[in-house]
Amino acid sequence: MTVLILTCEQDVTADMVVAELDGSGVPVVRLDPADLPGPVALSGEYVHGAFRGHLSAGGRLVSMSGLRSVWVRRPGVPASRVAEPSDWLTEESAQALYGMLRSTGARWMNHPDAARRARHKPWQLHLAQRSRLPVPATLITTFPQAARDFADRFPDLVVKPVSGAHPQEPPRAVPTSRVAPDADFAAVAFGPTLLQRRVAKQADIRLTCVGDRIHAARKAVAPGADPDEVDVRFATSDAPWRPVEAPPLIAAGVHTYLREAGLAYGAFDFAEDADGMWWFLECNQSGQFGFIQIESGQPIAHTVADWLAAPGPTTTPPNGGRAWAIEGH
Amino acid sequence: MRPFALNYARPAQQLEVSVPYAYDSRLQLNVLPDGRLAAHDYAVLRELGATTSTAGSKTHFDD
Repeated sequence: MTVLILTCEQDVTADMVVAELDGSGVPVVRLDPADLPGPVALSGEYVHGAFRGHLSAGGRLVSMSGLRSVWVRRPGVPASRVAEPSDWLTEESAQALYGMLRSTGARWMNHPDAARRARHKPWQLHLAQRSRLPVPATLITTFPQAARDFADRFPDLVVKPVSGAHPQEPPRAVPTSRVAPDADFAAVAFGPTLLQRRVAKQADIRLTCVGDRIHAARKAVAPGADPDEVDVRFATSDAPWRPVEAPPLIAAGVHTYLREAGLAYGAFDFAEDADGMWWFLECNQSGQFGFIQIESGQPIAHTVADWLAAPGPTTTPPNGGRAWAIEGH
Repeated sequence: MRPFALNYARPAQQLEVSVPYAYDSRLQLNVLPDGRLAAHDYAVLRELGATTSTAGSKTHFDD
């Protein structure tokens, strides 16, 4: 049984897992949907009441019935590298590839439907609340007056993109930023705005959950650090990520979250306050983990490989894609 | 008419760094010029930031 990895060639984080699978003797096929059609080819037939499909890439041919798991890591847009790309060909190729893969019994990390839903940050906040994870007071609004009222109740706020996306024309980054006390909220009317009570943090937490296994890491905020430096991705701190034990209630909440979301993998961001409480910020359904492994020494790639290599489609893992299929469209 | 959040935007870093490794389709892995696996050279990965949680990615925003 083979592990199928959908990602781009430059993805060295995927390399970390491929190397683990190679070391365990688990067959792997790695391909980028951007190379379909062309270097990646597929065929599937629905005859005599059964589906039989095959994929080929890099000289490897694999039967779709022989897939034990599919890891959707950093796949390119289907058909984006053909000589004459088009939206139509992309849709045709995406439907053929993902439609056939959905026809298999392979386990997903993560199932595309679950992944799509999990990218909605407002939904993440709601699910985190339902999972009993502490969530900082948050407002998403286009009403300037609602923003003013919220700022009256919670005077120390941060603002961040609702989607997590960043504008591209021209390319800009929108880090989580502290809102000035005298901010004019009139422009809230021009775009949905996410305001959140700032957590005066003493550390950032990155918790990577793979199936039911948790790897949590902590990056301390330096004493005297600029309180306006909110976003760890833009912070100048060179404090290392270190392993940390997740509090039992947080671990339970994370498991509930992933189960309810139908996700096999999630990279959670928390802010640890002065009392040691971990406040949920977001869950990245395909979040990076290589940088955590490199600094903390936690064997996350090994854990991912273990999950992918687990016995195939006849069993249902706690956080596997099968649960999602019940809700699938 | 600029949305409130864009008051906090900053120019994205253009990271057009060249990497010292290349993809080997036979191994399905990136390999350094001396034949070692890039994934095993943490110093290289750290220097390039190739595995970090990035902001402003064009194609992925769930890092």
